[in-house]
Amino acid sequence: MFFFTYLRRELRRRMRQAIFIALGLALGIGLVVTVTAASAGVKKAQAQVLKSLYGVGTDLTVTGKAPKPPSPTTGPAKNGQTFQIGPNGAQVCTNGKCHNAAGQTIDHLDSTSYSPISQSTVAAISRLKHVKAAAGGLALSDTSVTIPKNFGKPGGPLPTPNSFSVQGTDTSHLSLGPLSAGTITAGRSLRASDTNSDVAVVDAGYAKAHKLKVGSTVTIVKHKFTLVGLVEQPQSGSPPQVYIPLARAQALGKAPGKSLKHDVNTIYVTASSAATIPAVQREIESLIPSATVTSASSLAKQVTGSLSSTARLANDLGRWLSILVLIAAFAVASLLTMAAVARRVRDFGTLKALGWPSRRIIGQVMAESLTVGVIGGAAGVGVGFAGAAIITAVAPKLTATIANSTGQGFVSGGAITNGGGPRIFSPTTSHTVAVPLSASVTLTALVAAVVLAVVGGLLAGSFGSWRIARLRPADALARVA
Amino acid sequence: MYQLTNVTKLYTKGRHTVPAVRDLTLMIGDGQWLSVQGRTGHGKSTLLNLLGGLDRPTQGTIAFDGKDLTRLGENQVTRLRARSIGFIFQTFNLVPTLSAAENVEAALIPLGVRAAERRRRVDAALDSVALGDRARHLPGELSGGQQQRTAIARALVKEPKVLLADEPTGNLDEDTRDEIINLLEKLWRERGLTLILVTHDSAIAQRAQRVGSMSKGVLTIRPT
Repeated sequence: MFFFTYLRRELRRRMRQAIFIALGLALGIGLVVTVTAASAGVKKAQAQVLKSLYGVGTDLTVTGKAPKPPSPTTGPAKNGQTFQIGPNGAQVCTNGKCHNAAGQTIDHLDSTSYSPISQSTVAAISRLKHVKAAAGGLALSDTSVTIPKNFGKPGGPLPTPNSFSVQGTDTSHLSLGPLSAGTITAGRSLRASDTNSDVAVVDAGYAKAHKLKVGSTVTIVKHKFTLVGLVEQPQSGSPPQVYIPLARAQALGKAPGKSLKHDVNTIYVTASSAATIPAVQREIESLIPSATVTSASSLAKQVTGSLSSTARLANDLGRWLSILVLIAAFAVASLLTMAAVARRVRDFGTLKALGWPSRRIIGQVMAESLTVGVIGGAAGVGVGFAGAAIITAVAPKLTATIANSTGQGFVSGGAITNGGGPRIFSPTTSHTVAVPLSASVTLTALVAAVVLAVVGGLLAGSFGSWRIARLRPADALARVA
Repeated sequence: MYQLTNVTKLYTKGRHTVPAVRDLTLMIGDGQWLSVQGRTGHGKSTLLNLLGGLDRPTQGTIAFDGKDLTRLGENQVTRLRARSIGFIFQTFNLVPTLSAAENVEAALIPLGVRAAERRRRVDAALDSVALGDRARHLPGELSGGQQQRTAIARALVKEPKVLLADEPTGNLDEDTRDEIINLLEKLWRERGLTLILVTHDSAIAQRAQRVGSMSKGVLTIRPT
């Protein structure tokens, strides 16, 4: 009781100084909490972007290399078609026989972004050590072009390609891949029993734009797919627009010069634990040297835009700024505590004369310092919450720019050739998405605040205590006299 | 009570060594009152510090109740001080943030006395110096005489064997000075304390059983 009475009275006596020290610590700790919260918010935003690209539970994505664009001099493949524009307008030629293309609709489903990988590789990956699960997927682009009349003639109209992305989804592993990240807003998701059915789940945004609803049909390479559900993906990312069973995508899709019947172009992998991800990545790279293996962290490095600059800002500038402010706060607290001890030399000398052991006096000073530290820490947590709230309220949406396939075709040169039909390439371009920054104070930040408050208090107290320990009572009393 | 043998205390100031106490041999018996007179800077306070275990001699031995203070560790001296030695200072040295009662209570803290017992003893000590009604007052709210009486209560609350008083009336007016000295004399008689009192004031010094004079670190006891 006496201990606390003395503690309270001394703090009250030096209230202004105690408030000053507590405010300094509060500022430092508040900044740490705010920066940690902002950093957590950025990480959350990054995770949101990655989640939309990856799907829930996916640790690694294996993709075939991007296909090379054909050279304009390359001739048509066997049984290939040549699309020519001549004096008689647009013509489609097969094995030298040409006919007018006007009014024709060319619809094809291509693997434009990645080269195919044999489906047997999925099984091989799933057998690797540290791999929990693996599922194949086909990221395809459906492009249809209707050739207008008089196309190719002077003044004639240009064809308008219509393109959307199609995701062949392994219905036996629905917990992996892009569909797993979304929320079904209407109807249902794909099921294992849908393997060979012409059913589709459509992105809610795409459905709205094209006035689609559950029960509508979507045409993919002249096949009508019944829409069984709408899915809403996280705000960020560039989600596939139509999800169909993998087997159907394999049956309808084409890669340059070949069918995709036994192929996938993306493999989603879950490692047995976060610690084993690098090992799994190495194993897969060794198994399929030609493939690109992307982890969440490597993908995060490819994300640019204000999201990545904010991440850098929070991690670099924010962290150092907090450390500097903390050091300054600790130094000020230590100096002021030492000054306070110097002013109380007579009191301490008297207490020593009364028979108070040094450790008891040190305990008293440490407790005072610790109390100020804890008050500063509590205020710092408040400052941190306020800082996080302000950041959430005023921070503009962050943009994440991710290199991805557009699915949009383009034509260059006079002739486009393909093994089975005209080929339109989807170049890799940048896709920018807006992600809200929601700074949230995490438990880790709170624990850090408590630890910093205690450390700050103990540090300041220890300097004062060091001085007390060296204080000889006779010297203390003589100095006052 | 005290047996000092060839005690010397030297202070080093820069290149100079100043002897504060020189080759002092002295015996102070139980219940004696020794007054030490002398001019400022002649070693009176140093002697008191040595007797109270607040400082250690450069040479010689100081036996207290048969224990050589110079051979005891810092913790042992601190414990002995807490139990057996009471101090009274010229500037009262009350902790300004603690009330009169709490200042007195502070002397019982190192003894580990339980709270209820502490309160009883504090009340009794304050009553013995006629300050029972000022228990809750802070030092700043007390007169000089009241502050010194509080300091006396603080010194006596632990029932020490020795009371070391360093110019206890140095900061007081004449009336208050007499009041404090009368109080000390009364307590000394009633409690059988050993009282060692340092003072400039010859009138006060003459009230002691033994009177010593300190000059340049040498104590001369006058015959009574």
